[in-house]
Amino acid sequence: MRIIYETSDGGVAVIVPAPEYLLTHTMEELAAKDVPAGANYEIVEDSVVPSDRAFRGAWTWA
Amino acid sequence: MATIINADTSDGLKLTSDTSGQIDFQSAGSTKATIDTSGNLKFDSGFGSVGTAYGCRAWVNFTGANGTIQASGNVSSITDNGTGDYTVNFTTAMPDANYSVVVTAGKQGEPSGTGTPVCSLRDNSTAPTTTAVRIGVEHSTTAGAINALRINFAVFR
Repeated sequence: MRIIYETSDGGVAVIVPAPEYLLTHTMEELAAKDVPAGANYEIVEDSVVPSDRAFRGAWTWA
Repeated sequence: MATIINADTSDGLKLTSDTSGQIDFQSAGSTKATIDTSGNLKFDSGFGSVGTAYGCRAWVNFTGANGTIQASGNVSSITDNGTGDYTVNFTTAMPDANYSVVVTAGKQGEPSGTGTPVCSLRDNSTAPTTTAVRIGVEHSTTAGAINALRINFAVFR
């Protein structure tokens, strides 16, 4: 699982959880801790995040 | 003859100090390790006298291209902010933001054949905090951001 959120400049950041952290916490708890306050975010499957990073800087929140 | 000390209750084995508040571990007539009144662990380990052990407070080994974490300690997650641009988030916060960060990156990555990676704190845009620190990996001559195959990170405080 991944957490994606909209950055202040309109881009997209991807939060990758540490397996160790998920032994004792949930993705929701991780989002509450590591997503910047007020940012739009979504918990998604790994496959949702594109593997092609040729235009990583052009990713936008839609 | 060896002496084995076992806890005789369900509360575990406790080692308590005298009124000095310090616990010393001695061997052959000299102190080899100490826990002082402030809780500092000190050990000899070849120094010739006991010195304070400064522990690694957080560490992680992750893949630059996607932030996947191979192994870590006291790291809750990696935020992939963009190519060669990451935030390391701590599980347990640091006592302050004056910690020391060490980052290294391997020479394999994207784009390939780009030579030597240079790792940095992105404190020009995002100051380190007690809960997270932003780091970058760039090419040594072009200064372009790169995704190193392996990035190693550690915090000492």
